[in-house]
Amino acid sequence: MRARNLSLRDLGLLLTFGVALAAASPATQAAAPPAPARDDIVNALNKFESGPELDLPTLKQKISERSKMRGKNEPEPAKRPLIVPELKDLPTFNLAIQFDVDTPIILPESYETVGRLADALVNSGLLPYTFLIVGHMDSNGKREANVILSQRRADALRDVLVNTFKISNKRISSLGLGEEQFIDQAHPTSPVNLQIQIVTLGKVPEQEPGATPAATPAAKKSAKKKK
Amino acid sequence: MPRRIVSDMAMVRGRTILLILALASPSLAHAADPIMTFAESAAFLAKNCGAEITANCRGVNLDSNRLKECLSRNQDVASPQCRANFLVPFDQIQKRINARAMVAQSCRLEIIKLCHGSTKETSKSVPCLMTAKGVSRNCTQATVDAGYR
Repeated sequence: MRARNLSLRDLGLLLTFGVALAAASPATQAAAPPAPARDDIVNALNKFESGPELDLPTLKQKISERSKMRGKNEPEPAKRPLIVPELKDLPTFNLAIQFDVDTPIILPESYETVGRLADALVNSGLLPYTFLIVGHMDSNGKREANVILSQRRADALRDVLVNTFKISNKRISSLGLGEEQFIDQAHPTSPVNLQIQIVTLGKVPEQEPGATPAATPAAKKSAKKKK
Repeated sequence: MPRRIVSDMAMVRGRTILLILALASPSLAHAADPIMTFAESAAFLAKNCGAEITANCRGVNLDSNRLKECLSRNQDVASPQCRANFLVPFDQIQKRINARAMVAQSCRLEIIKLCHGSTKETSKSVPCLMTAKGVSRNCTQATVDAGYR
Protein backbone atom coordinates (compact mmCIF):
# COMPACT_ATOMS: atom_id res chain seq x y z
CA MET A 1 0.00 0.00 0.00
CA ARG A 2 2.73 2.39 1.06
CA ALA A 3 4.84 1.55 -1.93
CA ARG A 4 1.89 2.20 -4.21
CA ASN A 5 1.27 5.60 -2.64
CA LEU A 6 4.89 6.48 -3.09
CA SER A 7 4.97 5.49 -6.73
CA LEU A 8 1.82 7.48 -7.41
CA ARG A 9 3.33 10.53 -5.77
CA ASP A 10 6.52 10.00 -7.72
CA LEU A 11 4.50 9.85 -10.88
CA GLY A 12 2.82 13.12 -9.93
CA LEU A 13 6.18 14.74 -9.32
CA LEU A 14 7.49 13.46 -12.63
CA LEU A 15 4.42 14.79 -14.41
CA THR A 16 4.79 18.21 -12.77
CA PHE A 17 8.42 18.27 -13.78
CA GLY A 18 7.57 17.23 -17.31
CA VAL A 19 4.91 19.91 -17.65
CA ALA A 20 7.34 22.51 -16.30
CA LEU A 21 9.92 21.40 -18.86
CA ALA A 22 7.40 21.49 -21.69
CA ALA A 23 6.27 24.93 -20.62
CA ALA A 24 9.84 26.18 -20.41
CA SER A 25 10.97 25.01 -23.85
CA PRO A 26 8.85 27.35 -26.02
CA ALA A 27 10.47 30.28 -24.23
CA THR A 28 13.91 29.30 -25.53
CA GLN A 29 12.76 28.35 -29.03
CA ALA A 30 9.59 28.97 -30.97
CA ALA A 31 8.47 25.34 -30.96
CA ALA A 32 6.23 24.05 -33.72
CA PRO A 33 2.70 23.28 -32.52
CA PRO A 34 1.85 19.57 -32.36
CA ALA A 35 0.76 17.99 -35.63
CA PRO A 36 -3.02 17.63 -35.97
CA ALA A 37 -4.62 14.18 -35.91
CA ARG A 38 -5.25 12.66 -39.33
CA ASP A 39 -8.92 12.04 -38.66
CA ASP A 40 -9.44 15.64 -37.51
CA ILE A 41 -8.27 16.78 -40.96
CA VAL A 42 -10.40 14.14 -42.70
CA ASN A 43 -13.53 14.98 -40.70
CA ALA A 44 -13.14 18.71 -41.28
CA LEU A 45 -12.69 18.36 -45.03
CA ASN A 46 -15.08 15.56 -46.01
CA LYS A 47 -18.24 17.56 -45.35
CA PHE A 48 -18.56 18.71 -48.91
CA GLU A 49 -21.65 19.00 -51.06
CA SER A 50 -20.87 21.43 -53.83
CA GLY A 51 -18.55 24.36 -54.42
CA PRO A 52 -18.04 27.25 -56.79
CA GLU A 53 -15.98 27.03 -59.98
CA LEU A 54 -12.85 29.06 -59.25
CA ASP A 55 -10.86 30.46 -62.15
CA LEU A 56 -7.44 30.40 -60.48
CA PRO A 57 -5.36 32.25 -63.12
CA THR A 58 -7.85 35.13 -63.14
CA LEU A 59 -7.98 35.18 -59.34
CA LYS A 60 -4.19 35.24 -59.11
CA GLN A 61 -4.09 38.25 -61.38
CA LYS A 62 -6.80 40.02 -59.41
CA ILE A 63 -4.99 39.39 -56.13
CA SER A 64 -1.68 40.57 -57.53
CA GLU A 65 -3.25 43.75 -58.93
CA ARG A 66 -4.98 44.64 -55.69
CA SER A 67 -1.77 44.14 -53.70
CA LYS A 68 -0.17 46.87 -55.82
CA MET A 69 -2.85 49.45 -55.01
CA ARG A 70 -1.33 52.61 -53.59
CA GLY A 71 -4.36 54.91 -53.64
CA LYS A 72 -5.31 57.19 -50.73
CA ASN A 73 -8.69 55.55 -50.45
CA GLU A 74 -7.22 52.08 -49.85
CA PRO A 75 -8.86 50.66 -46.71
CA GLU A 76 -6.64 49.68 -43.79
CA PRO A 77 -5.83 45.93 -43.54
CA ALA A 78 -8.61 45.12 -41.06
CA LYS A 79 -11.21 46.67 -43.38
CA ARG A 80 -10.17 45.21 -46.72
CA PRO A 81 -13.01 43.32 -48.41
CA LEU A 82 -12.41 39.59 -48.94
CA ILE A 83 -10.81 38.96 -52.30
CA VAL A 84 -12.08 35.38 -52.66
CA PRO A 85 -15.22 35.38 -50.46
CA GLU A 86 -16.25 31.97 -51.89
CA LEU A 87 -13.56 30.28 -49.79
CA LYS A 88 -15.26 31.24 -46.54
CA ASP A 89 -18.13 28.80 -47.19
CA LEU A 90 -15.98 25.77 -48.02
CA PRO A 91 -14.73 23.06 -45.62
CA THR A 92 -11.40 24.32 -44.30
CA PHE A 93 -8.57 23.10 -42.08
CA ASN A 94 -5.84 25.41 -40.80
CA LEU A 95 -2.28 24.12 -40.59
CA ALA A 96 0.47 25.90 -38.64
CA ILE A 97 3.31 24.98 -40.98
CA GLN A 98 6.56 26.77 -40.20
CA PHE A 99 8.67 28.06 -43.07
CA ASP A 100 12.17 29.45 -43.12
CA VAL A 101 12.14 33.27 -43.04
CA ASP A 102 11.07 34.82 -46.35
CA THR A 103 11.33 31.47 -48.19
CA PRO A 104 8.99 28.63 -49.18
CA ILE A 105 11.23 26.12 -47.34
CA ILE A 106 9.34 24.05 -44.78
CA LEU A 107 11.25 23.68 -41.50
CA PRO A 108 11.90 20.12 -40.20
CA GLU A 109 9.76 21.00 -37.14
CA SER A 110 6.76 20.94 -39.46
CA TYR A 111 7.56 17.79 -41.44
CA GLU A 112 5.24 15.70 -39.28
CA THR A 113 2.34 18.09 -39.93
CA VAL A 114 2.96 17.90 -43.68
CA GLY A 115 3.10 14.10 -43.45
CA ARG A 116 -0.17 14.11 -41.49
CA LEU A 117 -1.79 16.16 -44.24
CA ALA A 118 -0.54 13.65 -46.83
CA ASP A 119 -1.94 10.79 -44.70
CA ALA A 120 -5.31 12.55 -44.60
CA LEU A 121 -5.37 13.18 -48.36
CA VAL A 122 -4.65 9.49 -49.06
CA ASN A 123 -7.31 8.31 -46.61
CA SER A 124 -10.43 6.87 -48.21
CA GLY A 125 -12.57 9.61 -46.61
CA LEU A 126 -10.89 12.30 -48.70
CA LEU A 127 -10.10 10.35 -51.90
CA PRO A 128 -13.25 11.59 -53.73
CA TYR A 129 -12.31 15.27 -53.37
CA THR A 130 -10.07 17.95 -54.83
CA PHE A 131 -8.40 20.59 -52.68
CA LEU A 132 -7.01 24.08 -52.73
CA ILE A 133 -3.96 24.95 -50.66
CA VAL A 134 -4.30 28.55 -49.62
CA GLY A 135 -1.31 30.61 -48.49
CA HIS A 136 -1.85 33.62 -46.25
CA MET A 137 0.31 36.32 -44.66
CA ASP A 138 -0.07 38.79 -41.81
CA SER A 139 -0.05 42.52 -42.56
CA ASN A 140 3.62 42.91 -41.66
CA GLY A 141 5.98 43.42 -44.58
CA LYS A 142 5.25 44.67 -48.07
CA ARG A 143 1.77 43.93 -49.34
CA GLU A 144 2.91 42.98 -52.82
CA ALA A 145 5.74 40.75 -51.57
CA ASN A 146 3.32 39.04 -49.20
CA VAL A 147 1.15 37.86 -52.08
CA ILE A 148 4.20 36.48 -53.87
CA LEU A 149 5.57 34.71 -50.78
CA SER A 150 2.20 33.20 -49.86
CA GLN A 151 1.82 31.87 -53.40
CA ARG A 152 5.33 30.38 -53.34
CA ARG A 153 4.62 28.71 -49.99
CA ALA A 154 1.31 27.27 -51.16
CA ASP A 155 3.05 26.04 -54.33
CA ALA A 156 5.87 24.50 -52.28
CA LEU A 157 3.47 22.56 -50.07
CA ARG A 158 1.62 21.38 -53.15
CA ASP A 159 4.90 20.24 -54.73
CA VAL A 160 5.85 18.27 -51.60
CA LEU A 161 2.45 16.54 -51.55
CA VAL A 162 2.63 15.71 -55.25
CA ASN A 163 6.33 14.84 -55.60
CA THR A 164 7.21 13.32 -52.24
CA PHE A 165 3.94 11.70 -51.21
CA LYS A 166 2.60 11.17 -54.74
CA ILE A 167 -0.80 12.72 -54.21
CA SER A 168 -2.31 13.14 -57.69
CA ASN A 169 -1.62 16.64 -59.04
CA LYS A 170 -5.18 16.64 -60.40
CA ARG A 171 -6.45 16.75 -56.82
CA ILE A 172 -4.45 19.71 -55.52
CA SER A 173 -4.09 23.30 -56.65
CA SER A 174 -2.63 26.27 -54.79
CA LEU A 175 -3.41 29.94 -54.28
CA GLY A 176 -1.58 32.68 -52.38
CA LEU A 177 -3.81 35.36 -50.86
CA GLY A 178 -1.03 37.33 -49.15
CA GLU A 179 -2.66 39.89 -46.88
CA GLU A 180 -5.60 40.37 -49.23
CA GLN A 181 -7.72 38.01 -47.13
CA PHE A 182 -6.87 37.28 -43.51
CA ILE A 183 -7.60 34.20 -41.47
CA ASP A 184 -8.25 36.55 -38.55
CA GLN A 185 -9.25 39.84 -40.10
CA ALA A 186 -9.78 41.55 -36.74
CA HIS A 187 -6.07 41.06 -35.94
CA PRO A 188 -4.15 41.50 -39.22
CA THR A 189 -0.73 41.36 -37.54
CA SER A 190 -1.47 38.13 -35.64
CA PRO A 191 0.72 35.10 -36.48
CA VAL A 192 -2.54 33.16 -36.86
CA ASN A 193 -2.59 34.71 -40.33
CA LEU A 194 0.62 32.91 -41.29
CA GLN A 195 -1.13 29.55 -41.34
CA ILE A 196 -1.78 27.55 -44.46
CA GLN A 197 -5.38 26.60 -45.15
CA ILE A 198 -6.47 23.49 -46.94
CA VAL A 199 -9.90 23.85 -48.52
CA THR A 200 -12.14 21.22 -50.14
CA LEU A 201 -12.81 22.62 -53.58
CA GLY A 202 -14.67 19.95 -55.52
CA LYS A 203 -15.16 16.30 -56.38
CA VAL A 204 -12.79 14.22 -58.45
CA PRO A 205 -14.54 13.73 -61.82
CA GLU A 206 -16.43 10.42 -61.94
CA GLN A 207 -14.57 9.25 -65.04
CA GLU A 208 -11.15 10.23 -66.26
CA PRO A 209 -11.41 12.22 -69.54
CA GLY A 210 -9.40 9.57 -71.40
CA ALA A 211 -11.46 6.62 -70.13
CA THR A 212 -14.61 7.14 -72.21
CA PRO A 213 -13.08 7.29 -75.72
CA ALA A 214 -11.00 4.21 -74.95
CA ALA A 215 -14.07 2.27 -73.86
CA THR A 216 -16.17 3.17 -76.89
CA PRO A 217 -13.95 1.65 -79.62
CA ALA A 218 -13.72 -1.56 -77.60
CA ALA A 219 -17.51 -1.72 -77.39
CA LYS A 220 -17.77 -1.13 -81.14
CA LYS A 221 -15.31 -3.92 -81.83
CA SER A 222 -17.24 -6.43 -79.76
CA ALA A 223 -20.42 -5.33 -81.49
CA LYS A 224 -18.79 -5.94 -84.85
CA LYS A 225 -17.62 -9.37 -83.80
CA LYS A 226 -21.12 -10.34 -82.89
CA LYS A 227 -22.27 -9.57 -86.41
CA MET B 1 32.30 -11.52 -6.00
CA PRO B 2 34.75 -11.05 -8.88
CA ARG B 3 33.03 -13.80 -10.85
CA ARG B 4 29.74 -11.99 -10.51
CA ILE B 5 31.27 -8.75 -11.77
CA VAL B 6 32.68 -10.61 -14.74
CA SER B 7 29.30 -12.13 -15.59
CA ASP B 8 27.62 -8.72 -15.20
CA MET B 9 30.14 -7.23 -17.54
CA ALA B 10 29.51 -9.99 -20.05
CA MET B 11 25.80 -9.27 -19.84
CA VAL B 12 26.35 -5.58 -20.36
CA ARG B 13 28.62 -6.32 -23.30
CA GLY B 14 26.00 -8.65 -24.77
CA ARG B 15 23.36 -5.97 -24.45
CA THR B 16 25.64 -3.39 -26.01
CA ILE B 17 26.24 -5.67 -28.97
CA LEU B 18 22.51 -6.21 -29.37
CA LEU B 19 21.92 -2.46 -29.17
CA ILE B 20 24.60 -1.76 -31.76
CA LEU B 21 23.11 -4.42 -34.03
CA ALA B 22 19.66 -2.89 -33.65
CA LEU B 23 20.99 0.59 -34.37
CA ALA B 24 23.21 -0.45 -37.23
CA SER B 25 20.54 -2.26 -39.17
CA PRO B 26 17.50 0.00 -39.19
CA SER B 27 16.07 -1.61 -42.29
CA LEU B 28 16.28 -5.02 -40.65
CA ALA B 29 14.57 -3.73 -37.53
CA HIS B 30 11.68 -2.36 -39.57
CA ALA B 31 11.33 -5.30 -41.92
CA ALA B 32 8.57 -7.02 -39.97
CA ASP B 33 6.95 -3.81 -38.71
CA PRO B 34 3.97 -2.24 -40.40
CA ILE B 35 4.83 0.43 -42.96
CA MET B 36 5.20 3.82 -41.30
CA THR B 37 2.55 6.43 -41.98
CA PHE B 38 3.71 9.48 -43.93
CA ALA B 39 3.57 11.50 -40.70
CA GLU B 40 5.73 8.94 -38.89
CA SER B 41 8.29 8.89 -41.69
CA ALA B 42 8.43 12.68 -41.86
CA ALA B 43 8.76 12.98 -38.07
CA PHE B 44 11.46 10.28 -38.05
CA LEU B 45 13.44 12.23 -40.62
CA ALA B 46 13.10 15.48 -38.68
CA LYS B 47 14.04 13.79 -35.41
CA ASN B 48 17.17 12.08 -36.71
CA CYS B 49 18.38 14.62 -39.28
CA GLY B 50 16.62 17.91 -38.40
CA ALA B 51 19.87 19.54 -37.30
CA GLU B 52 21.69 18.36 -40.43
CA ILE B 53 18.91 19.62 -42.69
CA THR B 54 19.02 23.04 -41.02
CA ALA B 55 22.82 23.19 -41.13
CA ASN B 56 23.61 21.68 -44.53
CA CYS B 57 20.42 21.55 -46.57
CA ARG B 58 18.94 24.96 -45.93
CA GLY B 59 17.01 25.85 -49.03
CA VAL B 60 16.09 22.24 -49.82
CA ASN B 61 12.48 21.30 -49.25
CA LEU B 62 11.03 17.98 -48.09
CA ASP B 63 11.69 16.38 -51.45
CA SER B 64 12.54 12.68 -51.73
CA ASN B 65 15.22 13.20 -54.37
CA ARG B 66 16.82 16.51 -53.51
CA LEU B 67 16.77 16.16 -49.74
CA LYS B 68 18.03 12.58 -49.82
CA GLU B 69 20.78 13.66 -52.21
CA CYS B 70 21.77 16.57 -49.96
CA LEU B 71 21.86 14.43 -46.84
CA SER B 72 23.96 11.74 -48.48
CA ARG B 73 26.34 14.34 -49.92
CA ASN B 74 26.90 15.76 -46.42
CA GLN B 75 27.26 12.44 -44.62
CA ASP B 76 30.80 13.17 -43.45
CA VAL B 77 29.54 16.03 -41.27
CA ALA B 78 26.31 14.33 -40.18
CA SER B 79 25.72 12.87 -36.71
CA PRO B 80 26.00 9.07 -36.45
CA GLN B 81 22.27 9.04 -35.69
CA CYS B 82 21.42 10.82 -38.93
CA ARG B 83 23.91 8.83 -40.96
CA ALA B 84 22.47 5.51 -39.74
CA ASN B 85 18.83 6.49 -40.22
CA PHE B 86 18.40 9.00 -43.02
CA LEU B 87 17.47 6.45 -45.68
CA VAL B 88 14.76 4.80 -43.56
CA PRO B 89 12.03 7.46 -43.90
CA PHE B 90 12.52 7.81 -47.68
CA ASP B 91 12.36 4.04 -47.99
CA GLN B 92 9.20 3.90 -45.86
CA ILE B 93 7.51 6.67 -47.85
CA GLN B 94 8.26 4.77 -51.05
CA LYS B 95 6.91 1.53 -49.57
CA ARG B 96 3.66 3.25 -48.65
CA ILE B 97 3.34 4.70 -52.15
CA ASN B 98 4.09 1.31 -53.74
CA ALA B 99 1.44 -0.25 -51.51
CA ARG B 100 -1.23 1.60 -53.51
CA ALA B 101 -0.33 -0.41 -56.60
CA MET B 102 -0.57 -3.59 -54.50
CA VAL B 103 -4.22 -2.80 -53.74
CA ALA B 104 -5.07 -3.29 -57.43
CA GLN B 105 -3.49 -6.74 -57.18
CA SER B 106 -4.67 -7.86 -53.73
CA CYS B 107 -8.18 -6.49 -54.16
CA ARG B 108 -8.74 -7.44 -57.82
CA LEU B 109 -11.76 -9.65 -57.17
CA GLU B 110 -13.25 -7.26 -54.64
CA ILE B 111 -12.86 -4.24 -56.94
CA ILE B 112 -14.52 -6.00 -59.87
CA LYS B 113 -17.15 -8.16 -58.16
CA LEU B 114 -18.06 -6.22 -55.02
CA CYS B 115 -17.43 -2.65 -56.14
CA HIS B 116 -18.00 -2.95 -59.90
CA GLY B 117 -14.91 -0.84 -60.46
CA SER B 118 -11.73 -1.08 -62.47
CA THR B 119 -8.28 -2.05 -61.22
CA LYS B 120 -6.87 0.68 -63.46
CA GLU B 121 -8.55 3.28 -61.30
CA THR B 122 -8.23 1.66 -57.91
CA SER B 123 -8.72 4.87 -55.96
CA LYS B 124 -12.29 5.15 -57.27
CA SER B 125 -13.14 1.81 -55.67
CA VAL B 126 -11.44 2.49 -52.36
CA PRO B 127 -14.43 4.07 -50.55
CA CYS B 128 -16.44 0.97 -51.56
CA LEU B 129 -13.69 -1.41 -50.37
CA MET B 130 -13.88 0.20 -46.93
CA THR B 131 -17.51 -0.74 -46.40
CA ALA B 132 -18.07 -3.75 -48.68
CA LYS B 133 -18.76 -7.10 -47.00
CA GLY B 134 -16.68 -10.13 -47.89
CA VAL B 135 -13.39 -8.32 -48.45
CA SER B 136 -10.47 -10.77 -48.10
CA ARG B 137 -7.87 -10.38 -45.37
CA ASN B 138 -5.20 -9.81 -48.03
CA CYS B 139 -7.15 -6.99 -49.55
CA THR B 140 -7.85 -5.40 -46.17
CA GLN B 141 -4.14 -5.52 -45.33
CA ALA B 142 -3.28 -3.93 -48.68
CA THR B 143 -5.62 -1.02 -48.00
CA VAL B 144 -4.05 -0.59 -44.56
CA ASP B 145 -0.53 -0.57 -46.03
CA ALA B 146 -1.53 2.02 -48.61
CA GLY B 147 -2.96 4.29 -45.91
CA TYR B 148 -6.52 4.15 -47.21
CA ARG B 149 -7.91 3.01 -43.83
